[in-house]
Amino acid sequence: MSRKYVISVMSKDRPGIIADITTVIYDLGGDLADLNQSILGGYFTMILMAEFDGPVTRKILLTRFSEIQSETPVAALIKEVKEVMYGSHGRLPDDTFVVTAQADNRKGLVKTLGDFFYSRNINVLDLVTAIDKNCYTMIFQVDLSQVDSMKSLRSELTSLGEREEMELVLQHNDIYMATNEVGTALETIIGD
Amino acid sequence: MLRSDQIMATVEMVQKENLDVRTVTMGINLLDCRYGSVKKTCEIVEEKIARFAGDFVEKCDEVAVKYGIPVINKRISVTPAALVGAGFSSDDFVKLAISLDRAAAQAGVDILGGFTAQVEKGITVTDRAFIESIPKALAGTSRLCASINVGSSHKGINMDAVAMIGRTIKDLAEETADSGGFGAAKFVVFCNQPGDNPFMAGAIHGIEEAEVVLNVGVSGPGVIARSLKKTIAKRGTDNLKLDDIAEEIKQITFRVTRCGELIGRQVSKILGVEFGVVDLSLAPTPKIGDSVGEILQILGVDDVGAPGSTAIVALLNDAVKKGGIFASKAVGGLSGAFVPVMEDAVLAEAVGKGALTIEKLEALTCVCSVGLDMVPIPGDVDAATISAIIADEMAIGMINNKTTAARLIPVPGKKAGEVVNFGGLFGKSPIMEVRNVNKSGRFIAWGGRIPAPIHSFKN
Repeated sequence: MSRKYVISVMSKDRPGIIADITTVIYDLGGDLADLNQSILGGYFTMILMAEFDGPVTRKILLTRFSEIQSETPVAALIKEVKEVMYGSHGRLPDDTFVVTAQADNRKGLVKTLGDFFYSRNINVLDLVTAIDKNCYTMIFQVDLSQVDSMKSLRSELTSLGEREEMELVLQHNDIYMATNEVGTALETIIGD
Repeated sequence: MLRSDQIMATVEMVQKENLDVRTVTMGINLLDCRYGSVKKTCEIVEEKIARFAGDFVEKCDEVAVKYGIPVINKRISVTPAALVGAGFSSDDFVKLAISLDRAAAQAGVDILGGFTAQVEKGITVTDRAFIESIPKALAGTSRLCASINVGSSHKGINMDAVAMIGRTIKDLAEETADSGGFGAAKFVVFCNQPGDNPFMAGAIHGIEEAEVVLNVGVSGPGVIARSLKKTIAKRGTDNLKLDDIAEEIKQITFRVTRCGELIGRQVSKILGVEFGVVDLSLAPTPKIGDSVGEILQILGVDDVGAPGSTAIVALLNDAVKKGGIFASKAVGGLSGAFVPVMEDAVLAEAVGKGALTIEKLEALTCVCSVGLDMVPIPGDVDAATISAIIADEMAIGMINNKTTAARLIPVPGKKAGEVVNFGGLFGKSPIMEVRNVNKSGRFIAWGGRIPAPIHSFKN
């Protein structure tokens, strides 16, 4: 019987880190379903889903990851799941929007927006941040399918922006697709 | 995956450069509305417009709120009224005009276009009655716009119609003298009038069109002006050439067009109406920062009308088309930069300084869309001179296989240099001087037709 895992690994970035991690999966007979990786401040992190035919346990995986030679040990979190999802970052929900927020850098900016979304049952699908001089930029990709009134949400965002001295913009994800993805037909973007 | 640079560039365009969709215009076929009586025809016309456009404005607004991009104008165009009212008398056409005006009000749109006749080759009895009705029809309505096509590259110019229209414009201005001849601002004369133009006053639902379509006019010149300013500030004038500027205009137009078409297609989808075309025209408004003239100033002429203005407009018009045509698979309408004097604060200012004359404006219209638009002239200019100005503009369109138009407003009781103000989107401007008045009467008196140009031997 096969076993399926969600695996999260983190280490200081260096050439070959992806090769080392995927070699562990391959050597244990694992089939890589999907993965996402990112580098932040010189640290590499990856989340992946894999399926193993043999009796590969969580303990075996942890041991093999710990044996990878690196400046900092490879830290891994492993959770067994019932099924793996292939291509999970495929089509986004129809009500996917992007909220951009810019403010003078200070503590608690991401939390403020995180709380705002959570209190309105808004799921954050993706988040990137950037800092330029003292300007902190946050870009949240959010699913607004649980939001009843766009007018109210826009008004609440405006109030939040004024209160927190943030420049907040809410735009439908389709706008970014339309303006930046030359090869994608508009009918595809709006789902005709 | 989110690309922060792309997203912030789009945010910049939408929020800081004030991207909007200038107009979404619903075209409705009224050819099947002609019934035995005028009264019944009018009833059927109103019923049909209400049936298709009943929730048009509401749905446009919904999509605008969802996408965070304002749709500035929601309008309706209809089948040319002279065809809908075949056999009507002049008085009957006035009744049809009032009916169309009422239908526009019920649908919640500010303007309805299509009080129109197409007489580029010949004038029928109905066409004549229609033309006679124009002064009363436009004076007695508030939302109706009229147009007439008097020439085409294939049929030539109908100079009998041009002569009639000179007198009609004078009558129309006199009929609306209390408002500075405002009626004439709602009437435009065309050569090669397109049937899918979403912009007023010349929008119609051409007979070649489907039952109902949605056409979209994309954003105004302000987005391009602000984008150019930003690029020039960032890269410095020493590091930019005109081909770099053209490339920048192409790229911003591409993105603006994609946004406009996205909104239009979404409204089409919700309403279950066929999507027509994207019109790439740069349509200015009197609002500061929404001017084609400002782009000319940014690109190096201190006043619009100075030598170089025509070359800049040619560059601008071409770059807009190139970016827009790549972005959209359904381009149509007028698709060029407009130079409507009263609706563009920088152009109006240039008129006040004496930098922009009718002759220079005519030169600009050789390389852009759409013609002598929203041009206020002294009220005492004679009808033959008005007809002759129109003939000149029509000839440019006929020979160059492009749309040209004339929207001349003789302002009753006012002289060149005095200011006329219509307010709102119609704007204000000093009245332009018309030189050589009363010198074209013998030409206009000929009547007949200017034959269509040869369409081969193009060397």
